[in-house]
Amino acid sequence: MTEQEILSAVQDIFRDNFDDDSLEITRATCADDIEDWDSLEQINLLTAIEKKFGIKFKLADVRGLKDVGDLLDLVSRMV
Amino acid sequence: MAYTYLITGATSDVGRALIERLLRTAPDSLVLAQGCGDLPKLDALCAEFAGRIRTFDADLSDRAKVDAFVQQLQDAPAPTHFVHLPALPVVNTKFKAFDQARFDLDMEIEIHSAVRILRAILPAMAKAKFGRVLFIQTSYTIGCPPKNTAAYVMAKSAIGGLVKSLAVEYAKFGVTVNCVAPSMMETNFLKDTPDLIVQAAAADNPMGRNARPGDVVPAMAFLLSEEAGFITGVTLPITGGSAIV
Repeated sequence: MTEQEILSAVQDIFRDNFDDDSLEITRATCADDIEDWDSLEQINLLTAIEKKFGIKFKLADVRGLKDVGDLLDLVSRMV
Repeated sequence: MAYTYLITGATSDVGRALIERLLRTAPDSLVLAQGCGDLPKLDALCAEFAGRIRTFDADLSDRAKVDAFVQQLQDAPAPTHFVHLPALPVVNTKFKAFDQARFDLDMEIEIHSAVRILRAILPAMAKAKFGRVLFIQTSYTIGCPPKNTAAYVMAKSAIGGLVKSLAVEYAKFGVTVNCVAPSMMETNFLKDTPDLIVQAAAADNPMGRNARPGDVVPAMAFLLSEEAGFITGVTLPITGGSAIV
Protein backbone atom coordinates (compact mmCIF):
# COMPACT_ATOMS: atom_id res chain seq x y z
CA MET A 1 0.00 0.00 0.00
CA THR A 2 1.46 3.38 -0.99
CA GLU A 3 1.66 6.33 1.36
CA GLN A 4 -0.80 8.14 -0.89
CA GLU A 5 -3.31 5.34 -0.53
CA ILE A 6 -2.86 5.36 3.24
CA LEU A 7 -3.22 9.15 3.32
CA SER A 8 -6.41 8.94 1.28
CA ALA A 9 -7.95 6.35 3.60
CA VAL A 10 -6.84 8.28 6.69
CA GLN A 11 -8.30 11.47 5.23
CA ASP A 12 -11.66 9.74 4.83
CA ILE A 13 -11.48 8.74 8.49
CA PHE A 14 -10.64 12.32 9.53
CA ARG A 15 -13.53 13.66 7.44
CA ASP A 16 -15.95 11.19 8.96
CA ASN A 17 -14.70 11.73 12.50
CA PHE A 18 -14.76 15.52 12.34
CA ASP A 19 -17.90 15.68 10.17
CA ASP A 20 -16.15 17.81 7.56
CA ASP A 21 -16.27 16.51 4.00
CA SER A 22 -13.95 19.26 2.78
CA LEU A 23 -11.20 18.56 5.31
CA GLU A 24 -7.79 18.21 3.60
CA ILE A 25 -4.96 16.74 5.60
CA THR A 26 -1.25 16.69 4.82
CA ARG A 27 1.77 15.20 6.57
CA ALA A 28 2.12 18.47 8.47
CA THR A 29 -1.45 18.56 9.80
CA CYS A 30 -1.49 18.41 13.58
CA ALA A 31 -3.93 18.81 16.47
CA ASP A 32 -3.48 22.59 16.44
CA ASP A 33 -4.94 22.72 12.91
CA ILE A 34 -8.25 21.01 13.73
CA GLU A 35 -10.24 22.58 16.54
CA ASP A 36 -11.91 19.40 17.77
CA TRP A 37 -8.79 17.25 17.65
CA ASP A 38 -8.19 16.48 21.34
CA SER A 39 -6.91 13.38 23.09
CA LEU A 40 -10.25 11.57 22.97
CA GLU A 41 -10.75 12.38 19.28
CA GLN A 42 -7.24 11.12 18.67
CA ILE A 43 -8.21 7.77 20.17
CA ASN A 44 -11.35 7.73 18.04
CA LEU A 45 -9.22 8.38 14.95
CA LEU A 46 -6.76 5.68 15.91
CA THR A 47 -9.52 3.19 16.64
CA ALA A 48 -11.07 3.86 13.22
CA ILE A 49 -7.64 3.47 11.60
CA GLU A 50 -7.10 0.18 13.42
CA LYS A 51 -10.39 -1.06 12.06
CA LYS A 52 -9.75 0.17 8.52
CA PHE A 53 -6.28 -1.35 8.21
CA GLY A 54 -6.78 -4.40 10.43
CA ILE A 55 -3.97 -3.36 12.77
CA LYS A 56 -3.64 -2.92 16.55
CA PHE A 57 -1.77 0.02 18.05
CA LYS A 58 -0.06 -0.03 21.42
CA LEU A 59 -0.50 3.00 23.64
CA ALA A 60 3.28 3.59 23.69
CA ASP A 61 3.33 3.71 19.86
CA VAL A 62 0.68 6.41 19.61
CA ARG A 63 1.46 8.64 22.60
CA GLY A 64 4.33 10.40 20.79
CA LEU A 65 2.59 11.11 17.50
CA LYS A 66 3.07 14.79 16.62
CA ASP A 67 1.30 15.08 13.29
CA VAL A 68 -0.33 13.21 10.43
CA GLY A 69 3.12 12.42 9.02
CA ASP A 70 4.05 10.48 12.17
CA LEU A 71 0.70 8.71 11.98
CA LEU A 72 1.17 7.74 8.33
CA ASP A 73 4.70 6.46 9.05
CA LEU A 74 3.35 4.35 11.93
CA VAL A 75 0.58 2.89 9.76
CA SER A 76 3.03 2.24 6.91
CA ARG A 77 5.22 0.18 9.24
CA MET A 78 2.25 -1.92 10.33
CA VAL A 79 0.39 -2.68 7.09
CA MET B 1 -29.91 -11.95 61.13
CA ALA B 2 -30.71 -13.88 57.96
CA TYR B 3 -30.30 -11.50 55.08
CA THR B 4 -31.92 -11.69 51.68
CA TYR B 5 -29.94 -9.91 49.01
CA LEU B 6 -31.78 -8.98 45.85
CA ILE B 7 -29.14 -8.38 43.19
CA THR B 8 -30.08 -7.22 39.71
CA GLY B 9 -27.43 -7.52 37.03
CA ALA B 10 -26.14 -10.40 39.15
CA THR B 11 -24.57 -12.19 36.19
CA SER B 12 -22.03 -9.40 35.66
CA ASP B 13 -18.42 -9.81 36.78
CA VAL B 14 -19.09 -7.51 39.74
CA GLY B 15 -22.36 -9.26 40.54
CA ARG B 16 -20.78 -12.67 40.70
CA ALA B 17 -17.85 -11.45 42.79
CA LEU B 18 -20.27 -9.74 45.18
CA ILE B 19 -22.47 -12.83 45.52
CA GLU B 20 -19.45 -14.96 46.32
CA ARG B 21 -18.26 -12.55 48.99
CA LEU B 22 -21.67 -12.10 50.59
CA LEU B 23 -22.48 -15.79 50.76
CA ARG B 24 -19.04 -16.68 52.09
CA THR B 25 -19.25 -14.17 54.93
CA ALA B 26 -22.93 -14.63 55.87
CA PRO B 27 -23.71 -18.36 55.94
CA ASP B 28 -27.43 -17.96 56.59
CA SER B 29 -28.10 -15.46 53.81
CA LEU B 30 -29.99 -15.90 50.57
CA VAL B 31 -29.40 -14.22 47.20
CA LEU B 32 -32.17 -13.46 44.73
CA ALA B 33 -30.19 -13.04 41.51
CA GLN B 34 -31.55 -11.47 38.34
CA GLY B 35 -29.97 -11.92 34.93
CA CYS B 36 -31.24 -11.53 31.40
CA GLY B 37 -30.71 -14.52 29.13
CA ASP B 38 -27.38 -15.27 30.76
CA LEU B 39 -28.20 -17.14 33.96
CA PRO B 40 -25.77 -19.99 33.14
CA LYS B 41 -23.07 -17.54 34.24
CA LEU B 42 -24.32 -18.21 37.78
CA ASP B 43 -24.15 -22.01 37.49
CA ALA B 44 -20.82 -22.33 39.29
CA LEU B 45 -21.98 -20.14 42.17
CA CYS B 46 -25.31 -21.98 42.38
CA ALA B 47 -23.43 -25.26 42.61
CA GLU B 48 -21.04 -23.94 45.23
CA PHE B 49 -23.76 -22.35 47.35
CA ALA B 50 -26.51 -24.89 46.79
CA GLY B 51 -29.97 -23.67 47.75
CA ARG B 52 -28.75 -20.20 48.67
CA ILE B 53 -29.17 -18.53 45.28
CA ARG B 54 -32.51 -18.19 43.53
CA THR B 55 -32.22 -17.05 39.95
CA PHE B 56 -34.64 -14.97 37.92
CA ASP B 57 -34.49 -14.32 34.19
CA ALA B 58 -35.98 -10.90 33.52
CA ASP B 59 -35.53 -8.28 30.84
CA LEU B 60 -35.24 -5.01 32.74
CA SER B 61 -35.67 -2.93 29.58
CA ASP B 62 -39.33 -3.98 29.38
CA ARG B 63 -41.63 -2.51 32.05
CA ALA B 64 -44.17 -5.33 31.81
CA LYS B 65 -41.40 -7.86 32.34
CA VAL B 66 -40.06 -5.87 35.28
CA ASP B 67 -43.53 -5.95 36.81
CA ALA B 68 -43.71 -9.71 36.23
CA PHE B 69 -40.31 -10.07 37.91
CA VAL B 70 -41.52 -8.02 40.88
CA GLN B 71 -44.53 -10.32 41.08
CA GLN B 72 -42.26 -13.37 41.13
CA LEU B 73 -40.33 -11.85 44.00
CA GLN B 74 -43.47 -11.97 46.15
CA ASP B 75 -42.92 -15.71 46.54
CA ALA B 76 -39.42 -15.21 47.94
CA PRO B 77 -38.39 -13.84 51.34
CA ALA B 78 -38.58 -10.04 51.41
CA PRO B 79 -35.22 -8.53 50.46
CA THR B 80 -33.27 -6.91 53.27
CA HIS B 81 -30.78 -5.63 50.71
CA PHE B 82 -31.11 -4.48 47.12
CA VAL B 83 -28.12 -4.03 44.83
CA HIS B 84 -28.85 -2.67 41.36
CA LEU B 85 -26.01 -3.31 38.93
CA PRO B 86 -27.39 -3.55 35.39
CA ALA B 87 -26.11 -1.22 32.70
CA LEU B 88 -25.54 -1.36 28.99
CA PRO B 89 -21.91 -1.41 27.90
CA VAL B 90 -20.65 2.11 27.28
CA VAL B 91 -20.55 3.17 23.66
CA ASN B 92 -18.18 5.92 22.59
CA THR B 93 -20.54 7.95 20.40
CA LYS B 94 -21.04 11.62 19.74
CA PHE B 95 -24.34 13.05 20.95
CA LYS B 96 -25.67 13.73 17.46
CA ALA B 97 -24.84 10.18 16.40
CA PHE B 98 -26.68 8.56 19.31
CA ASP B 99 -29.79 6.61 18.52
CA GLN B 100 -32.69 7.99 20.59
CA ALA B 101 -33.56 4.44 21.52
CA ARG B 102 -30.26 4.09 23.31
CA PHE B 103 -31.13 6.91 25.73
CA ASP B 104 -34.48 5.30 26.43
CA LEU B 105 -32.92 1.89 26.94
CA ASP B 106 -30.31 3.18 29.37
CA MET B 107 -33.02 4.88 31.41
CA GLU B 108 -35.26 1.81 31.41
CA ILE B 109 -32.52 -0.54 32.56
CA GLU B 110 -30.75 1.68 35.05
CA ILE B 111 -33.54 3.84 36.45
CA HIS B 112 -37.11 2.84 35.66
CA SER B 113 -36.56 -0.81 36.53
CA ALA B 114 -34.98 0.19 39.84
CA VAL B 115 -37.85 2.52 40.66
CA ARG B 116 -40.42 -0.21 40.00
CA ILE B 117 -38.52 -2.73 42.09
CA LEU B 118 -37.91 -0.25 44.92
CA ARG B 119 -41.58 0.70 45.09
CA ALA B 120 -42.32 -2.96 45.72
CA ILE B 121 -39.62 -3.73 48.28
CA LEU B 122 -38.95 -0.53 50.22
CA PRO B 123 -42.17 -0.64 52.29
CA ALA B 124 -41.14 -3.97 53.84
CA MET B 125 -37.63 -2.67 54.55
CA ALA B 126 -39.10 0.42 56.20
CA LYS B 127 -41.48 -1.68 58.27
CA ALA B 128 -38.61 -3.90 59.39
CA LYS B 129 -36.61 -0.76 60.27
CA PHE B 130 -33.68 -2.14 58.34
CA GLY B 131 -32.62 -2.07 54.74
CA ARG B 132 -29.65 -1.47 52.48
CA VAL B 133 -29.94 -0.21 48.93
CA LEU B 134 -26.84 0.13 46.81
CA PHE B 135 -26.28 1.26 43.25
CA ILE B 136 -23.22 1.25 41.08
CA GLN B 137 -22.58 4.61 39.51
CA THR B 138 -19.41 5.72 37.75
CA SER B 139 -16.59 8.15 38.32
CA TYR B 140 -17.77 9.78 35.07
CA THR B 141 -20.41 11.52 37.21
CA ILE B 142 -17.71 13.13 39.37
CA GLY B 143 -16.48 16.39 37.86
CA CYS B 144 -16.07 16.62 34.12
CA PRO B 145 -17.28 13.50 32.26
CA PRO B 146 -15.52 12.20 29.17
CA LYS B 147 -17.01 13.22 25.86
CA ASN B 148 -19.15 10.87 23.79
CA THR B 149 -20.80 9.02 26.66
CA ALA B 150 -24.01 11.04 27.01
CA ALA B 151 -26.52 8.20 27.39
CA TYR B 152 -24.43 6.41 29.99
CA VAL B 153 -23.61 9.53 32.00
CA MET B 154 -27.23 10.68 31.86
CA ALA B 155 -28.58 7.44 33.29
CA LYS B 156 -25.83 7.15 35.90
CA SER B 157 -26.45 10.74 36.98
CA ALA B 158 -30.14 9.97 37.38
CA ILE B 159 -29.14 7.19 39.75
CA GLY B 160 -27.37 9.81 41.86
CA GLY B 161 -30.57 11.84 42.15
CA LEU B 162 -32.64 8.82 43.05
CA VAL B 163 -30.15 7.72 45.69
CA LYS B 164 -30.04 11.11 47.41
CA SER B 165 -33.82 11.44 47.41
CA LEU B 166 -34.45 7.97 48.79
CA ALA B 167 -31.65 8.32 51.34
CA VAL B 168 -33.37 11.31 52.91
CA GLU B 169 -36.84 9.83 52.72
CA TYR B 170 -35.94 6.45 54.24
CA ALA B 171 -33.22 7.44 56.73
CA LYS B 172 -35.59 7.41 59.68
CA PHE B 173 -36.59 3.84 58.83
CA GLY B 174 -33.06 2.47 59.10
CA VAL B 175 -32.81 2.06 55.36
CA THR B 176 -29.62 3.38 53.78
CA VAL B 177 -29.27 4.17 50.10
CA ASN B 178 -25.82 4.62 48.60
CA CYS B 179 -23.68 4.36 45.49
CA VAL B 180 -20.22 3.24 44.63
CA ALA B 181 -18.59 5.08 41.75
CA PRO B 182 -15.71 3.13 40.26
CA SER B 183 -13.40 4.47 37.61
CA MET B 184 -12.98 2.38 34.48
CA MET B 185 -13.15 -1.22 35.62
CA GLU B 186 -11.63 -4.00 33.57
CA THR B 187 -14.52 -6.41 33.18
CA ASN B 188 -16.59 -7.82 30.36
CA PHE B 189 -18.50 -4.53 30.56
CA LEU B 190 -15.75 -2.94 28.45
CA LYS B 191 -16.22 -5.28 25.53
CA ASP B 192 -17.34 -2.43 23.27
CA THR B 193 -14.71 0.03 24.48
CA PRO B 194 -11.61 0.41 22.27
CA ASP B 195 -8.46 -1.06 23.82
CA LEU B 196 -6.64 2.23 23.42
CA ILE B 197 -9.20 3.97 25.64
CA VAL B 198 -8.80 1.26 28.27
CA GLN B 199 -5.00 1.47 28.09
CA ALA B 200 -5.04 5.26 28.21
CA ALA B 201 -7.34 5.25 31.27
CA ALA B 202 -4.95 2.89 33.04
CA ALA B 203 -1.91 4.98 32.12
CA ASP B 204 -3.59 8.20 33.28
CA ASN B 205 -4.80 6.75 36.59
CA PRO B 206 -2.62 7.92 39.51
CA MET B 207 -2.26 4.28 40.54
CA GLY B 208 -1.26 3.32 37.03
CA ARG B 209 -4.06 0.85 36.41
CA ASN B 210 -7.78 0.54 36.00
CA ALA B 211 -10.14 -0.68 38.72
CA ARG B 212 -10.90 -4.36 39.17
CA PRO B 213 -13.94 -6.04 40.74
CA GLY B 214 -11.72 -6.90 43.71
CA ASP B 215 -11.26 -3.18 44.36
CA VAL B 216 -14.96 -2.43 44.29
CA VAL B 217 -16.68 -5.41 45.90
CA PRO B 218 -15.19 -4.90 49.40
CA ALA B 219 -16.47 -1.31 49.42
CA MET B 220 -19.88 -2.53 48.33
CA ALA B 221 -19.90 -5.15 51.07
CA PHE B 222 -19.08 -2.46 53.62
CA LEU B 223 -21.92 -0.17 52.50
CA LEU B 224 -24.24 -3.19 52.68
CA SER B 225 -23.12 -4.10 56.19
CA GLU B 226 -24.93 -3.35 59.45
CA GLU B 227 -22.00 -1.25 60.68
CA ALA B 228 -22.45 1.19 57.78
CA GLY B 229 -25.88 2.09 59.12
CA PHE B 230 -25.15 5.81 59.58
CA ILE B 231 -23.83 6.25 56.05
CA THR B 232 -26.52 7.15 53.58
CA GLY B 233 -26.90 9.21 50.42
CA VAL B 234 -23.23 8.97 49.56
CA THR B 235 -21.42 8.23 46.34
CA LEU B 236 -18.17 6.52 47.23
CA PRO B 237 -15.50 6.99 44.55
CA ILE B 238 -13.32 3.94 43.97
CA THR B 239 -10.95 5.40 41.49
CA GLY B 240 -7.31 5.04 42.49
CA GLY B 241 -7.36 8.83 42.69
CA SER B 242 -8.48 9.48 39.12
CA ALA B 243 -11.66 11.23 40.33
CA ILE B 244 -11.77 12.81 43.75
CA VAL B 245 -14.77 14.46 45.39
